[in-house]
Amino acid sequence: MDFRITPEEEAFRKEVKEFLDKELPKDWPGVDPDLYHEDAFDNIHEVSLAMQKKLAAKEWLGLTWPKKYGGHEQPLWKQIILEEEMTYRGSPGLDPYQFVGGMGDLLLDFGTEAQRMKYLPMMVRGEIKGATGMSEPNAGSDLANIQLKAELQGDYFILNGQKTWQSAAHKADLEPVYVRTDPNLLKHRGISIILVELKKTPGITMRPLEMMSGLKAFNEVFYDNVKVPKENLLGEINGGWKIVMAALSHERAYGVMLLINIRRDIDLLVEYCKETKDVDGVPLSKNKMIRNRLADVAIQQEIARNVGYKLNHLALTGGNVVSTANTVKILGGVTTQRVAQVGMQIMGMYGQLGPVGGNWRQTDPVKDKWTRLGGRMKHLYLSTVCNTIAAGTTEVARNAAAGALGCPREPKPAPKK
Amino acid sequence: MDFGLSEQQEMLRKTARDFFKTELPKTLVKELAKEPKGYRPEMWKKMADLGWVGLVLPEQYGGSDASFLDLTILMEEMGRACAPGPFLSTVVLGALTVLELGTEEQKKAILPKLAKGEIVLTMAIAEPHAIYKPDFFEVEAKHAAHHYTVSGTKLFVTDAHVADYIVVATKTKGGVTLFLVDAKSPGVTCTLLPAMFGERQCEVKFDGVKLTRSDMLGGLNRGKDYLERVMHRAAVAKCSEVLGGLEYVLEISVQYAKDRVAFGKPIGTYQAIQHHCANMLNDLDSCRCMTRRAAWMVSEDLPCALEVSLAKAWMGQASRRITALGHEIHGAMAFQHDHDMHLFTKQAVVAEASFGSSAYHGEVVAKELGL
Repeated sequence: MDFRITPEEEAFRKEVKEFLDKELPKDWPGVDPDLYHEDAFDNIHEVSLAMQKKLAAKEWLGLTWPKKYGGHEQPLWKQIILEEEMTYRGSPGLDPYQFVGGMGDLLLDFGTEAQRMKYLPMMVRGEIKGATGMSEPNAGSDLANIQLKAELQGDYFILNGQKTWQSAAHKADLEPVYVRTDPNLLKHRGISIILVELKKTPGITMRPLEMMSGLKAFNEVFYDNVKVPKENLLGEINGGWKIVMAALSHERAYGVMLLINIRRDIDLLVEYCKETKDVDGVPLSKNKMIRNRLADVAIQQEIARNVGYKLNHLALTGGNVVSTANTVKILGGVTTQRVAQVGMQIMGMYGQLGPVGGNWRQTDPVKDKWTRLGGRMKHLYLSTVCNTIAAGTTEVARNAAAGALGCPREPKPAPKK
Repeated sequence: MDFGLSEQQEMLRKTARDFFKTELPKTLVKELAKEPKGYRPEMWKKMADLGWVGLVLPEQYGGSDASFLDLTILMEEMGRACAPGPFLSTVVLGALTVLELGTEEQKKAILPKLAKGEIVLTMAIAEPHAIYKPDFFEVEAKHAAHHYTVSGTKLFVTDAHVADYIVVATKTKGGVTLFLVDAKSPGVTCTLLPAMFGERQCEVKFDGVKLTRSDMLGGLNRGKDYLERVMHRAAVAKCSEVLGGLEYVLEISVQYAKDRVAFGKPIGTYQAIQHHCANMLNDLDSCRCMTRRAAWMVSEDLPCALEVSLAKAWMGQASRRITALGHEIHGAMAFQHDHDMHLFTKQAVVAEASFGSSAYHGEVVAKELGL
C-alpha cells in the first residue's frame, strides 16, 4: 500500500492548474461535468471550442494515444490528472465523447486501421466534437432493445429509426450509433456500431429537447434512409454488444468526474457559509446544523473520491475496473444529489434563484441581483437529478453489482421472435 | 498510488483467517461472551506465540518489527472472527504507548512480557461526563511531596478486569498526564459493566492511589497531545475490526440470498434483495478504501486527523446500514441468538461510539474544512 503522490504527478498537476488559470475566462463558474451548458448556449460553446484548440496546442488531446495516430504516448496518470483538474474547474475542452473513455478508446480497441488513421488525428488536432448514439425511446436501461435499423445495401448501410436523449448531438461531428443489423437474432446478438458523420450526412434531423433545468442540450435524432459507407462499421457486424459493454466500462471516468466537480460546490458552500451572516450576526459556518450537514456531505464526497482513486489505480495497473467503476458510478450519483440537497437547504429561499435558462454568461443586473453563488445551487439541484440515471441508472448498476456478487439471475422471459 | 496488500500482509491475513477458523468457531464466540472473563487465556497465549501480540514491537523487546498497517490487517481478521480478548487494549492502547513514551526501564519491564502474552494492558481515558474530552477530566493526580495521588472514576475502560497495568490519563496542574498503574495497586477497584458486545467494558475507580514520578509516561502534562495520537490509532484499529466483520456479514448475506427459497425461487433472484446486496457491497468497498488509507497514514506517521475522521465517521454510518440490510435479508433467522449476524450488529454499533462517534469525527471534518 502506498498513497504518496510523486513529484512528477505534482508538477504536472501544477502545470494543468496554471494552464487553466491562464486560459479560462476569469468569470468562469465551472458548474458542469457533463457539458450541458457548453452544448446549450452558443456563447459558452465558443469557449469550449477555443479551449479544445488550446489543449491541442498543448499536446494534451489524445495524451496516451499512439504517435502514429497523432497521439502523444504519455502515461495514463497524466490523462487522469488532466481530467481531474479540468473537471474540478468545470472547464470544457476535453470532450468526454472523444477523450474520456469515448470514441477514441473505442477506435483504438475496435477500429480498423483506416478508421483510426482517419478520425484519431482529427480528434487530436481538436477539430471535431463528439456524442454517443445509444438511447432510444424504448431502449434506456434495457439498452439491448435498440431498434434503429441498419440494412446493408451494396457499399452502404441504410439507417432508419430514432434515437433520443442525445446529449451534445446537435453540436457533434461524429458519433458511434448503436443500431440493429439483424432483427432475427436474439436481442443482444443483432447489434452493430456504425460511425456516423452527423453534420455531413443527409437524412438526419434533430429536435432539441429541453431539460428540466431549462437547458437545451438533449436531442431527439431521426434517421430517414441515411446512407453510411460500410467501412464505417466499428468492429464486427452483429458483434456490437461487446462494444456496448466496453463503452460502458470506459465510462469509468463518469462517476469520478461527478465527484470531483461536486467538490467545488462543497468548497464554494463552505466559503459561502463563512462569509454569510445569519440575522444574529453569527456566520452560518458556526451554526451546528449547517456544520454537521456540510461535514456529512464532505465525508461522503471524500469517501467516494477515495474509491475513485482505487479505480484509477486499477486502470493504471491494468486491473479489472468494472466492479469498482460501478461502485463509483453509484456513489457519484447519490453524492452529488446529496450535496445539491444540502446546498438548497443552506440557501433557503435564495436557492431557487439563478440566471434565466441557466446561461451564466448572460446575467441580468436587475433580475440576477439577488442570485447567490451565481445560481449554482439551482442548476445543481436540477441537473443532478439525472446523475443517478445517465450512463446507466443506479438500479441497473446495482443489478450488475449483485450479479458480480453471485446473486442468482432472474429467469429470462421467453426469447422474442 | 497503490491499494494492494504486500505479500507478507497477504500471508498474515491467511494465517490469521485459518487460525480463527479452527480455533474460534462462532459458537465459542457466543459462549465466551457469556463468561465473565470473556476470552480464553490459552488462546491468547497461542496468539502471542504466533507473534501477534508483539507484532508491532521492535525485536529488542520481543516483537516482530511489523508496521501499524500490518497490525490493522490482522485486526481485520480478528474483527471477522469476532475474536474476544484484550488485543486492542493491550497492543494499540497499551504497548504502543509504553513503546513511544516509556523510559527504557519501563519498556524493558513491560514489553517483552507483553509480547509473550504474559501480561495484559489497557488505557483509561473516558470519564462519565467527559468521554473523549481531556479538557474536562476530573480524575486528578495531585502532587504532594515525593508522590502523586490519583483519585476519581474512569469509565468504559476496556478489559480492565483482566489488565495487569492500566495507563491512566489524569488531570494535573497545567495539563493532562499519563501514568502507568499496576492494576493491583491499593486503591484501584474495577467493576465489570453489563455491556452489549463481547468487548468487556469496566468502571475503574482510583481512590488515593499513590504513584511516583517513575510511574509517569512521557512526562508531566504531555498527555493531551499524545491522547490525540492514541485516538487516531484506536479509531483506525476499530475501523479495521469492523471492516473485517462487515466483510463477513456481506458474505453470509449473499450466501443466504442464494440458499433461501421463497415464492418458489431463491430470494437472491429478487431485485429488492439484490439491491440490498449491492448497497452493502458499495458501502463495504468505500469503508475498505478509506480505512486502509487512514491506516497507511497512521503507519507512515503522516498528519492524518482528516483521514482518520473520514474513515471513522463513514464507518459508523455505513456499518449501521450494512448490518441493517444484513438483517433485512436474513429475516427472522438472524434475530435468533443461534445465528451469527447479531454478533456483527453489536460489534458495529459499539464501535461507532468507541474512540469518537460519527458526530465527533464529523466535527473534526468540519474544522478541517475550515468551518
